[in-house]
Amino acid sequence: MSENKTPSKAKNRPDHKVKTRVLAVFLNLVLIIFSLSCIFPLIWLFYSSLKEKRVFNADIIGLPKSPSFSNYVDILSNKDYHIFASLFNSFRTTIISVSLIIICGFIVGYILARVKFKGNRLLYVIFLMGLLIPIHSLLVPIYVVFNNTGLNNQWFTLIIPYVAFGLPIAIFLVEGYVKAIPVALEEAAAIDGSSFTRTLFTVILPTCKPILTTVGIIQTFGCWNEFSFALVLIRDQALHTVPLAMTQFTGQFSSDYPKIMAALLTTMAPIIVFYFVFSKQIIKGMVAGAVKG
Amino acid sequence: MKKKLVSLLLVVVMIFSLCACGKSKETSTKKAETKAPDATTEATDDSATKTDTSASTLAYKGDLGIMHFSTSEESQGNGGSDGFRTTIASWEKKNPDISLKQTVLANADYKTQIATLAAAGDLPDVFLLQGMNTREWVKQGLVLDMTDYIAKSPYADKYDKSKFYPFTVDGKEYAIPALTGGTCTVVVYDAALWKEAGFDTFPDTWDKVKEASKYFKKKGIDTIAFGNGGKWQANSCFLSTLGDRFTGPEWFKSLVEKKGAAFTDQTFVDALKFTQDIFKSDVFNKDFNAITNEDAREYYISGDAAAFIGGNWDVSYIQATLKDKPLYNNTKFAVLPQPAGATGDTDSHNIGLGYGIAINAKLKDDPEKLAAAIDLAYTLTGPEFANYVTDKYALSSVTKVDNLDLSKFDQFTQDFYNYSYVDHKPCEIYDSLISSAVWDVLNTDLQSMLNGDISPEDVAKNAQAAYEKNY
Amino acid sequence: MLNSIRPKKWVIALYLLFPILLYVFAVFIPLITAGFYSFFDWKGGPNKTFIGLDNYATLIKDDVFWTSFGHNIYLVFACIIGQIGLAFIIVLMINSRLVKFKAIHRTFGFFPSTISAVYIGLIWLMFYDYKRGILNWFLELIGKGDQTKVWLNEPKLVMLLIAIPLIWQFIGYYMVIIISAISSVDQEIFEVAELDGANAFQRAIYVIVPLIKNTLLVCVTLCVAGNMKAFDHIFVMTKGGPGNDSMVMALYGYKISFAQQNMGYGSAISIGIFFVSLLVIGGVQFLVKMLTKEKGEI
Repeated sequence: MSENKTPSKAKNRPDHKVKTRVLAVFLNLVLIIFSLSCIFPLIWLFYSSLKEKRVFNADIIGLPKSPSFSNYVDILSNKDYHIFASLFNSFRTTIISVSLIIICGFIVGYILARVKFKGNRLLYVIFLMGLLIPIHSLLVPIYVVFNNTGLNNQWFTLIIPYVAFGLPIAIFLVEGYVKAIPVALEEAAAIDGSSFTRTLFTVILPTCKPILTTVGIIQTFGCWNEFSFALVLIRDQALHTVPLAMTQFTGQFSSDYPKIMAALLTTMAPIIVFYFVFSKQIIKGMVAGAVKG
Repeated sequence: MKKKLVSLLLVVVMIFSLCACGKSKETSTKKAETKAPDATTEATDDSATKTDTSASTLAYKGDLGIMHFSTSEESQGNGGSDGFRTTIASWEKKNPDISLKQTVLANADYKTQIATLAAAGDLPDVFLLQGMNTREWVKQGLVLDMTDYIAKSPYADKYDKSKFYPFTVDGKEYAIPALTGGTCTVVVYDAALWKEAGFDTFPDTWDKVKEASKYFKKKGIDTIAFGNGGKWQANSCFLSTLGDRFTGPEWFKSLVEKKGAAFTDQTFVDALKFTQDIFKSDVFNKDFNAITNEDAREYYISGDAAAFIGGNWDVSYIQATLKDKPLYNNTKFAVLPQPAGATGDTDSHNIGLGYGIAINAKLKDDPEKLAAAIDLAYTLTGPEFANYVTDKYALSSVTKVDNLDLSKFDQFTQDFYNYSYVDHKPCEIYDSLISSAVWDVLNTDLQSMLNGDISPEDVAKNAQAAYEKNY
Repeated sequence: MLNSIRPKKWVIALYLLFPILLYVFAVFIPLITAGFYSFFDWKGGPNKTFIGLDNYATLIKDDVFWTSFGHNIYLVFACIIGQIGLAFIIVLMINSRLVKFKAIHRTFGFFPSTISAVYIGLIWLMFYDYKRGILNWFLELIGKGDQTKVWLNEPKLVMLLIAIPLIWQFIGYYMVIIISAISSVDQEIFEVAELDGANAFQRAIYVIVPLIKNTLLVCVTLCVAGNMKAFDHIFVMTKGGPGNDSMVMALYGYKISFAQQNMGYGSAISIGIFFVSLLVIGGVQFLVKMLTKEKGEI
């Protein structure tokens, strides 16, 4: 990067100022390009959703010549697509899963970071293993286990794997974060006579807000977009989540991508709003600089 | 601090209320579910078929599960799917006491889920069996032997028995071929362009195609568009027919029935060699290995290629897209040209019905339910379906239709009907038979072979090894 | 000792009970089931034949599996450098006093990670497309038309070309994590480091890396784990092709289990992936710990 641009010895004032300005332009430019590239998919999804299927297939990247909202109308009015039922299912699954991941991840992560007990490291490794499970090639055993216990094809079915597979990430993030917090914080609470549980929820929890928000954001999108578990574990059309409902727009040899995109944007709109709100929270957390390290 | 506690409490309350809410919703979704079939029947009512709606004679009452891949998207471009959905809806209407539980997934997802269910021994009551899975699933005892039911079918005399081949193991039949029969290899070409190049019809040898490609190169367009990005296309839409030209049908039959033929036989290796050579020559678009057939047909539609090789599904897309455009009337169909050195039929093309309606073997223990499932299988493959797809799309299925009036269709549809069912000799679709394990190995190697990274001999050797191990 | 720092064992046990039960049920029982299946010749369905360790013997000699393993390792290193490295640099850049629209950059960066791989794959397919792609169009534009290629059909380039979308998509993911970690660091550090322009980066790295070492280590762990089971992008973009030139372990296991319906061997592959990933992750953690220790000493 640009570390070597300014030799720190030669630091006469005007030269330094010019260099700073050049650096400012450079930094801003790089970041703007990066941000634009990041937002491009969303823009592309939007204008593609205004195209007709055949126009899209003929030119995937071009702008629509005669944009129309007919895809949106079709999605919202056609009962075959059961978009609202699937939206409801996705919301329920995601909200419950993410809440459980945050709560359990916080508790376990904190315990792993702070409490010394036999098997602490073993537990850490066990949760680490969960990150390494290749879900796609394990679908059959997962189905067999769920089927034999009668837990497949229920409204709560998907919450189980989502929480279980989401936990490790949450635990590690919390663990890493808590380790950077000075122990003095808990010691002070302890001297005040606070119990473990009270310290956990009134002292530590607020401190961990930035990382928990991060966990929440990451997991929300993870659960929302998850497909493989949903495909294998859910058979009733009435229990389909959004990604499964979208397969109705896919044919064997041709898919209606603009319609899928319209559906994608319609269904993602609420969580995108959610994301904007929460990313503000993160930034607030940053500015507050919760704990001084 | 208090604020934080309150917010935490809120989260907890939210979770519990959601759980509770979920429980109460469960019953309501169940209700909605049982209602759903009526809704679909009503929806399709106006487009209903002209069949008698005589009351059902089935004794069975209760749930019957069916899994298929005729999504609403699929049914818009595919006559077979449309017919399938329509026939299901009409059957539901005739049998109000049976609650038909449909699981409809896109084809690729269907394959994943049905394989999972098969592995767990938990297949739905009625499902679509892919030809190449027949032998293995029968060996596992998953699929009901339907030989007697097929013989006793009210439409038995109208069945085209040759279509049962992929679903037959040791003389017993395990499924009734479903949906519509379509060619997997057809050359779609722009007759006007080829006339310009000096050919009144599509050339009947590859040497002439190479000749023509010089002209098209000057013009700046590709001669033939092809897409093998999904790896299966080179097998299904090229090699399967081309192989027949080299080996003749007996070789493949012998391979299927394990009567001594091998992938390493010289005639098949010759077919592979020819395939490698022709894809190395400039006849095809340069990016054939990186794009799918869906992209390749766009090259044809936009005029960037003078011809396209694909399957019937591509033809229906091209037809729907080109309608009202000048290219529509210039679009004609041809079989693959004959390769030099091939001794088999000169005009064969691979055609068949890749999926059949099969029934879970477990239904044997529940005769009433079985009777309902059989009735559904008869209906979905019988004259009601056949008439619908013939009448509306000029497609043929396993049940023969008596008097088809072709004249009411436009030239494009007539041409394609004649191409598919009348003018040319059918041959088997490789990957409707044998085993998916073999084709997956062959398809992967084939893609490398077309890049020149592996020799035809090695491709044959690997395929043979997979064949011996898995079949 | 005080209760809050040394809580009673039963309190801890109570807190851990539910997460562990759930986790073991959904993660370990299927894994053990797969381990059980891996000792059978099983083509799916009720009939299995016990064949002992035969599947593992096949696995050890399976060239495709080990080629795939190599590709996964390639992705791991490309993504540790690309995703975490770039994310870290971008976060530092955003924190610079010289940068405007900080909030926008922070928010937008995460967007690609919210969209499922199918669409990201589609966009990048178009980027690399031979006839209509942006890359070849750009090469023509700058007069290097002879360099145009059927990009995804180049056996030697395909892994790199697939790594790029992966890196790009998940930079934001690590940005969010690093941002929240840095928020626990004293903001004054930035201001101090800011004082003399470009050198800030160098300083920031030396000052901040040790402070958020734990989180970075978690990022590396997540990155390794994620890339050892990479699947979606490759499935969408190349299906592992041309041939097996972009095959990765998880896709291979999936293909064996579903496309070839060889569930027994597919299970053995899953177990194989699990163990080699465990080894790699152990190795990388060790490596990172060594490296950060050295850095700390300097």
